Amino acid sequence: MEIRVRCNCGEGSCEEWGIVELQGVVEPQPGFHDSLPNLHIGTLCRPSSQEVYTFTVGYHELTGSKVPLKKPLVVLKKVKHPDGESGCKVELQVVGVIRHKILFKNRPKALISKDSCEATYDP
Amino acid sequence: MDVEDMEMDIPLPDELEFLESNFHEPEQNQEEEEDHHYHLADLEPPAEPYSPQPPPDLEAPSVDIESSGHKRSRSSSLPEEEKRAKVRVTVQEDSSTEEAADEDWLRYSPPPQEPAAQETTFAKEKTLSRFASEIDGECMPITAPNGDRVYAKLTRFQGEERVKTLDCNGYSAELSSEPINVILERLEQEAFAKALEASSEGQSVPDVPEAQMVNEQLWVDKYAPKSFTELLSDEQTNREVLLWLKQWDSVVFGSEIRSTSDDVLSALKRHSSIVHNQKPLNSKFPRKNGGSKWSNGGRYVNSVSMDESGSSKSIQDAWSTKSRNIGPPEQKILLLCGPPGLGKTTLAHVAAKHCGYHVVEINASDDRSTSTIEAKILDVVQMNSVLSDSRPKCLVVDEIDGALGDGKGAVEVLLKMISSERKPDAGKQTVGKGQLERKSSKKGSKTTSLSRPVICICNDLYAPALRPLRQVAKVHIFVQPTVNRAVSRLTYICKKEGMKASAIALTALAEYTECDIRSCLNTLQFLSKKKEDLNVFDIGSQVVGQKDTSKNVFDIWKEIFHKRRTKKSERKSHRGNSFDFDSLYSLVSKRGDSDLILDGIHENVLRLNYHDPLMQKTVKCFNNLGVYDLLHQYIVHTHQMSLYVYLPLVAITVHHIVSQVQKPNIEWPKSYQRYRTMMTEKMDILNNWHHKIPPHIARHLSASSFVEDLISPLLHILSPPTIRPVALQLLSDTEKNDLAQLVSKMVSYAITYKTVKSDMLHQTLKSELADGLALSFVPPISDFINFKDYTSNHYVLSVAMKQLLVHEVEKHKILQVGVDKTRALANEGHEIIETGTPNIPLANTNVVARKSNANPTIVSSNLNTDKSSSAKDIGKPQNVGNIKKATRSSSSFFDRFKKVNIKGVESNDRSLPEEAILEKDRYPLLFKYNEGFTNAVKRPVRIREFLS
Repeated sequence: MEIRVRCNCGEGSCEEWGIVELQGVVEPQPGFHDSLPNLHIGTLCRPSSQEVYTFTVGYHELTGSKVPLKKPLVVLKKVKHPDGESGCKVELQVVGVIRHKILFKNRPKALISKDSCEATYDP
Repeated sequence: MDVEDMEMDIPLPDELEFLESNFHEPEQNQEEEEDHHYHLADLEPPAEPYSPQPPPDLEAPSVDIESSGHKRSRSSSLPEEEKRAKVRVTVQEDSSTEEAADEDWLRYSPPPQEPAAQETTFAKEKTLSRFASEIDGECMPITAPNGDRVYAKLTRFQGEERVKTLDCNGYSAELSSEPINVILERLEQEAFAKALEASSEGQSVPDVPEAQMVNEQLWVDKYAPKSFTELLSDEQTNREVLLWLKQWDSVVFGSEIRSTSDDVLSALKRHSSIVHNQKPLNSKFPRKNGGSKWSNGGRYVNSVSMDESGSSKSIQDAWSTKSRNIGPPEQKILLLCGPPGLGKTTLAHVAAKHCGYHVVEINASDDRSTSTIEAKILDVVQMNSVLSDSRPKCLVVDEIDGALGDGKGAVEVLLKMISSERKPDAGKQTVGKGQLERKSSKKGSKTTSLSRPVICICNDLYAPALRPLRQVAKVHIFVQPTVNRAVSRLTYICKKEGMKASAIALTALAEYTECDIRSCLNTLQFLSKKKEDLNVFDIGSQVVGQKDTSKNVFDIWKEIFHKRRTKKSERKSHRGNSFDFDSLYSLVSKRGDSDLILDGIHENVLRLNYHDPLMQKTVKCFNNLGVYDLLHQYIVHTHQMSLYVYLPLVAITVHHIVSQVQKPNIEWPKSYQRYRTMMTEKMDILNNWHHKIPPHIARHLSASSFVEDLISPLLHILSPPTIRPVALQLLSDTEKNDLAQLVSKMVSYAITYKTVKSDMLHQTLKSELADGLALSFVPPISDFINFKDYTSNHYVLSVAMKQLLVHEVEKHKILQVGVDKTRALANEGHEIIETGTPNIPLANTNVVARKSNANPTIVSSNLNTDKSSSAKDIGKPQNVGNIKKATRSSSSFFDRFKKVNIKGVESNDRSLPEEAILEKDRYPLLFKYNEGFTNAVKRPVRIREFLS
């Protein structure tokens, strides 16, 4: 069976994505089950130039590092082209390539006072 | 020495020995002086009949020329006033130098003296100079009393020549067989009598005996031992003190040679033995003066001759060999202790003088604050006197234990000096002795090191102030001289003073004063003044001046329990009794702390084996002790200190009731102290506990009622036999209820169990102690009712049960803390002022709980507990069961705790609307960490799903 994967962008100009891997669960507060999509999850920052990242979720701060994936992943987007009567023609479009992930595997540190870190993830 | 000199000395063989062993020039100077004295004595008109008074203590042995010159002035026949005026005139006229004054004075002196004196000064002028550099060869410094210092040339040849000239010049054929000081004294007396006569010529009646009385010395001073051999104290102690002082020689006298001192010692020994043998013959010979003077002289001889004789190498060798075995003694302070009147101070003085020291005494009457005493000690210990008396000083600190606070200052200074001495010691050891001396004298200004002997004297060795000193000092304890020795001395003195006293009476007196020679002598003198005789049987009633000392408390107890002299008291029962009474009274009242004495009596009285079949004596005793207690309490309450006079009477009564002839076995009273400390300990525990109990319960409990009435039932309540030691799930509802009640009781009374080492709870808790560890109540309330012969037969829970209870109590406490926090926060938010009753915060919690009810969370159970508790009563135990149910669902105790707190806080926050919203915005999502490894979910996906 042939699956056609189309890549619109050329070689090397693919968008690069990243994975944030957490050891644990991010749970919404009980009062927010209805408004889940617009929630601000947390703040990811790189405090120094090293590959050390902090991720602040709620009153927890996670510390993790950037690790390369053994096998890069692609991010596909399934596009359905309805044609004819029988079904639809499915096309998978490459949206991005993932070569790195940021792994947070350490126990979170509780934040007593709030600290605002404004740096954003920068691939 | 030439023949004439020898002849002169023939009647005094021991002195001859010294001359032989210490043949040397500077002495000849002094001898020359003595020659003058002899000469003068010969010229003097024949003295009046021999005076019965023995010679007083002579001046320092190294009498220098000027002072002897002044002495000579006494011999002039002019009346005193006139003479003084003349001297004053000369001083005004002339320059202030001593020599000039001397010569001036000589001009006024009677002609027969003049040739000799002039001869001296003439001879001196040749060799004297103010500067040592002007004299070539050896010189010796001479210091005048006014501080002028000159250097005298030392030449063997010249000296001999001078002696010769003097001998042929000043000497007549006659030799005096009397010692010089006797003659001098006679002269003095004569001059005095003449002066008296002159002054009382106007009045018709010469009142000679009265004048004598004024003049009279205390016998104690008069007959004080003036030489080493006269000391009454223990021979062994004397010798050891002397040895210790001698060990300082190398440091103090610099290059003092061991052999010299040995010579001196051996000579001294021979000397003293001769004197001892000859004692009845010439007991007036001033032995000590001779001895120390010669030893002083010998020092100079040897140092000089060594320098002259030679090659520096041999000297160095000699020094190095000597430095090994000579040094300052290990302990730099000598501590003499013993009861008063045994001659400690006298020994210190005599021994120090004997060894050639100038004694400086710091007494209890002197200022003894730390700063002044430090300056004083430093002066003594480090300075060499520039004045007439150039002997090194020896410090005697008398009664160092006397005043506690001040005495401590002295002790501190001494200790500081010792410790500062120790440090540089190591470095110094390598340096030769001569250099050491120089160095230490240089260093003296910087470091305060101890380079002179210090003798401390105390009565009570174990005074607390002396504790540090005891460790570093060489301690000598004085023992009483034998009564015989003391009595023989007393009889001798009595004979001398012409007082009649039988040996028996003297013995009794010595026994009474416990060989306190001082008080014996004072008593005797007092009696002789009153023209009374010593009464053998009534010494106690006579005035015996005793130094005010207190005895060891053990001795007092012994005195109280011990009956003395049965036969004597039978014979003269009345007098014996009164004597007993007096002595006991003074004994007890002098000691002061009657509390301790009575404690000792109280604890030891029952151990005595007195004959008491009907227990009457015992009852009497304890009645008396009861009286004491009442009296003492009354005194302390009303501050009627005058009643203290009557306290010792109790002890005396007890003595009369129970005292036995055989020696009592007395133990230090410990039980009172022990029980007191136990009492305070337990009161502490009880008070602490009382503070821990919530106030609404604690305010109903007083300590006494609690201990006496409540604890025993409480123990029964706290250990109900009904609860089975099984897992909580297996309990029935009623049992759960019981348990919950028990836990809440324990919490509200702040009682829990704790593991305690089994040896600490000694059989009081008859629980299972087999494994060594046991759970027991904390605070140990069962100890409070640990009365004698009382057991509260409460049921003792099993270990498992106790552990369960501990767990539950802890849980409950934490819960309460959480609840309290919630309450506090809620109160803060609503700005409700608490009024102290527990109901208001309760209401608040209710509100909080209801508000937080909006979030169905894990915590709900806890909030439920809150609610349920509030619905009933906060103190009520029913909710505990609920808690247990709720908690069982959660995995661990701590987990639950955490959540409770978090949620508690959050629920609070939500109760305040604005804040709550803020909180929501900030933390909509929470992170929950999963233990273990990361496990990304990998789920098999069919291709079809991609495509469809």
